[in-house]
Amino acid sequence: MPLTRLILALALPVIAIYSWRAWGHHAFSAEFDKDAPVTLQGEVTRIEWINPHAWIHLDVVDEQGETVAWMVEGGTPNTLLRAGINKNSIPIGSQIKVRGYQAKDKRCQPACKANGRDVTFANGKKVFMGSSGTGAPKDGADPNER
Amino acid sequence: MNQLLYDFALWLDAQSWSTQLHESFYMYNWVESTHVLALMISLGMLFIIDLRMLGLTLTEVPFATLARRLNLPMLLGFGVMIATGLLLFYAIPVRTTQSLWFRFKLVLLLAAALNAWLFHRRMLAAGCQGGNGWDRAAMAPATLRRGAALSIVFWVLIVLCGRLIAYDWFDCNREPGELVATLAGCIHGQTHY
Repeated sequence: MPLTRLILALALPVIAIYSWRAWGHHAFSAEFDKDAPVTLQGEVTRIEWINPHAWIHLDVVDEQGETVAWMVEGGTPNTLLRAGINKNSIPIGSQIKVRGYQAKDKRCQPACKANGRDVTFANGKKVFMGSSGTGAPKDGADPNER
Repeated sequence: MNQLLYDFALWLDAQSWSTQLHESFYMYNWVESTHVLALMISLGMLFIIDLRMLGLTLTEVPFATLARRLNLPMLLGFGVMIATGLLLFYAIPVRTTQSLWFRFKLVLLLAAALNAWLFHRRMLAAGCQGGNGWDRAAMAPATLRRGAALSIVFWVLIVLCGRLIAYDWFDCNREPGELVATLAGCIHGQTHY
């Protein structure tokens, strides 16, 4: 049946593209736990300014007074630049506050891991540090969120 | 062997171009996007040829005609895909060398290459050129059909593994289990990841 073939030929790419998109949009839920929001306040120890995701490492003092190492995933360097963050905006040793969601893997090896939504600098300036359209919860952090 | 690969990756990682690509604002994104777009061109052409062999599409078009039309874009796509793939590896050499998915992907690429070579040989032996025999048949002979099916399976798995390299579930710095650590080639006491 030529018609069946035609329908199949048209439908397959659509399905393929749709599932690819769905996959891309679930990048957040593949690794991070939307039910585990965290607010991390601490001192920046290191920044990996790398593709495809930048990582901010910080030491957070928890309620027991113990220092815990965290690494927070941001967007690409390009995304961060457009959001108004560059290498010089977050000096090593500065105090920041990050809101985000912890990784599903809570073993904290080699550091506790989270996906960053927004970051607040010592001067009170707050910037979105994630990527849009990753499937992260709509929590108002992303100014481009629909 | 793993030590050798790790040392090689460290040597690449120490090069300033590798770091610049890894930290770039635009180039990495361009390279990665180009890799995926080139993949769609080359595999798009390849899958049409494979599906034709299996008798699932364009059955009224002779094999020789299809191959002549699709070979060039397929090979161009392959060239761009391999070049950008090498650049992506060059940007993140250490982590990629020790990625379980990347290792699966390389094995599958070798299998796909071997399959393609065998396929080509069998095709020439079966006399596809000149429109004789099965050139206008609805599907190719059974040996070629097996090769075409394998080609689709291998490439789907290769793309899947490529996508999964992005996830760090089995990365060496997360101290994976014995089996994963061995397969991924984690080095005991390594300091760079």
